[in-house]
Amino acid sequence: MNPKNPTALAVESWPFTTVLVANRGEIAVRVLRTVQKLGLRGVVVYHAADRGTAAVKMADQAIEISGATPVAAYLDGAQIIAAAKSAGAGAIHPGYGFLSENKGFCAAVEAAGIRFIGPTPEQIDLMGDKVRARTYVEKAGFPVAPSAIEDDDPASFVERSRQVGAPLLIKPSAGGGGKGMRIVRDLALLEQEIERGRSEGQRYFGDGRLYCERYIENPRHIEVQVLGDGQGGVVHVFERECSVQRRFQKIVEETPSPALSPALRAKICETAAGIARSIGYRNAGTVEFIFGQGGEFYFLEMNTRLQVEHPVTEEITGIDLVQEQLRVAAGETLGYGQGDVKSQGHAIEFRIYAEDAARGYTPTTGPILVLHPPEGEGVRWDSGVLQGGEVTSAFDPMIAKLIIRGTDRKDAIARADKALKETVLLGCKTNTAFLRRLIAHPAFVAGDVHTGFLDANPQIAAEPELPSQTLQALLAAAALSTRPMRDVADAVPDLHAAIGGWRN
Amino acid sequence: MQHAFRLGDAEHNIALSRSARAYRLHVGEQVLDVDLAVAADGRAWLTLGERHLEVVVATRGDDVFVHLDGEAYQLRYRHPLDRLAAAAGGSAADHIRAPMPGSIVAVSVKAGDAVTKGQTLLVMESMKMETTIAAPRDGVVAAVAYEKGQTFDRDALLLSLERAAG
Repeated sequence: MNPKNPTALAVESWPFTTVLVANRGEIAVRVLRTVQKLGLRGVVVYHAADRGTAAVKMADQAIEISGATPVAAYLDGAQIIAAAKSAGAGAIHPGYGFLSENKGFCAAVEAAGIRFIGPTPEQIDLMGDKVRARTYVEKAGFPVAPSAIEDDDPASFVERSRQVGAPLLIKPSAGGGGKGMRIVRDLALLEQEIERGRSEGQRYFGDGRLYCERYIENPRHIEVQVLGDGQGGVVHVFERECSVQRRFQKIVEETPSPALSPALRAKICETAAGIARSIGYRNAGTVEFIFGQGGEFYFLEMNTRLQVEHPVTEEITGIDLVQEQLRVAAGETLGYGQGDVKSQGHAIEFRIYAEDAARGYTPTTGPILVLHPPEGEGVRWDSGVLQGGEVTSAFDPMIAKLIIRGTDRKDAIARADKALKETVLLGCKTNTAFLRRLIAHPAFVAGDVHTGFLDANPQIAAEPELPSQTLQALLAAAALSTRPMRDVADAVPDLHAAIGGWRN
Repeated sequence: MQHAFRLGDAEHNIALSRSARAYRLHVGEQVLDVDLAVAADGRAWLTLGERHLEVVVATRGDDVFVHLDGEAYQLRYRHPLDRLAAAAGGSAADHIRAPMPGSIVAVSVKAGDAVTKGQTLLVMESMKMETTIAAPRDGVVAAVAYEKGQTFDRDALLLSLERAAG
């Protein structure tokens, strides 16, 4: 079977004909598109704050759910399962975020006799806990960053840390958010730094236990898409490079990664497929790696759901990943092998955020007065907002994704600049101008970025100075669009305007 | 008559008058022939002296949004009366505005409370982070605009202090 060819699908024999999407925004639209393309009925749940959005308009049925906050409504599994039952839905697609990696929800859905379009509860459980996943992956023989965990044997912790080698990173076991982390470049300072880390851990978290791991300088974030049918079939669908980040969140993702040679690409992709195969994985999933400048890579975590950035993979392979999720949830096998999965060209995704890059990437809100999405060859616009809608602070500030396909990376960047320039969204500040500055930067053009790139180059986020000609044009457009100004001007005929200087 | 627009942190004084064919824009010492022709789809052609530029313009209240040469800008019309009032008194330190959209986590003061500079007035949450809003000076709370749990947009007036004496 050809993974790109849906004509071989046996949708009529699937155990469900209605799919409920337990999500909102662009991903609800994205999932509904494939559900409806396959001739299935698409149902969506929505909070009142999302009334009138694209997903609600597009769905065959939309069921309102409520909660203490809009987000709480989408986290209310019992209410969503009740909605699925009332709509006669035989399957639930969780999208990403919200309940997509919630073991309890997954189990409750299956207990209600509804297919969960995702992995098994056991697989969510194993991969959902970072330490447990890391331990499992290491035992299965795959690369994890060299580390020393104090709890394993406190007496030998310093010695085991020394063996990890410099540079290394000391982290509080109870920690998070970068607090109490210390980088050690000189092992002579190891014991001293461990003591400092311990006292910081104690102060921040009331827990002085530590662990050490190899510190990767200027790392890249590379992840691999995998697909498994839970019946022995597993393939990888190549990698995605997601190193352009701000506040630990991805902004731009692309495939293929400019950092990988063909041999390294095959190695990292095979590693990911091996991890998925070792747990008999079912569903689309993503294995994330931290990638060092020397070409070394280590397992970071596995996401057992569809990712935000899945479209770039679809663009270079022609595979509809949501369709594959539905197929395996329906009990089908993949029906094709690794050799059938091929990639062509280059794809880049840009997350369009309602935010002000120059003000520390803080979110913005406002009405969407005008929206003209870009169009053209190789341009895909995945969005959940419509002209006339509103961006509020109730949800994540990502409002759309612009996905560009080109014959190669250079072609994709050129098309991206044109598409970003042609994206018109008025009423709420977005990051499109910032994204254009980013892709024009020599380091991005060279494919030479790491996860700290934007922090190291704050000038990309800064608002450039306005040329005086641009300022004049803006003031003219604004003046001519402002009623009180036109009224005042129109009240004075041209002749008087010409001699106005006399009257003062 | 002088009007003004705020763009970013800067305010620009301009005037508009009729010309034989359209309008004239007065910016500083410069006078430019200008015109704006709007098509049905909202796209418009701006004439600026000898230049013709394609723009998209949308307005909402006093805000004018302009898409020009691939970038979106927001300008705010400043009413002459408001500008007079602003010039007459009421410093920025009297009005505490939201630095970003978010929601109120805690309100520590109420109207009539005397506060000292640096004292916590309220705690807001945005981007999953809590931010403490502290008093910019000693004074008395005139009004608190939001309650715990309410959401607000950027630049919303969160709290005001009574005018400083003297």
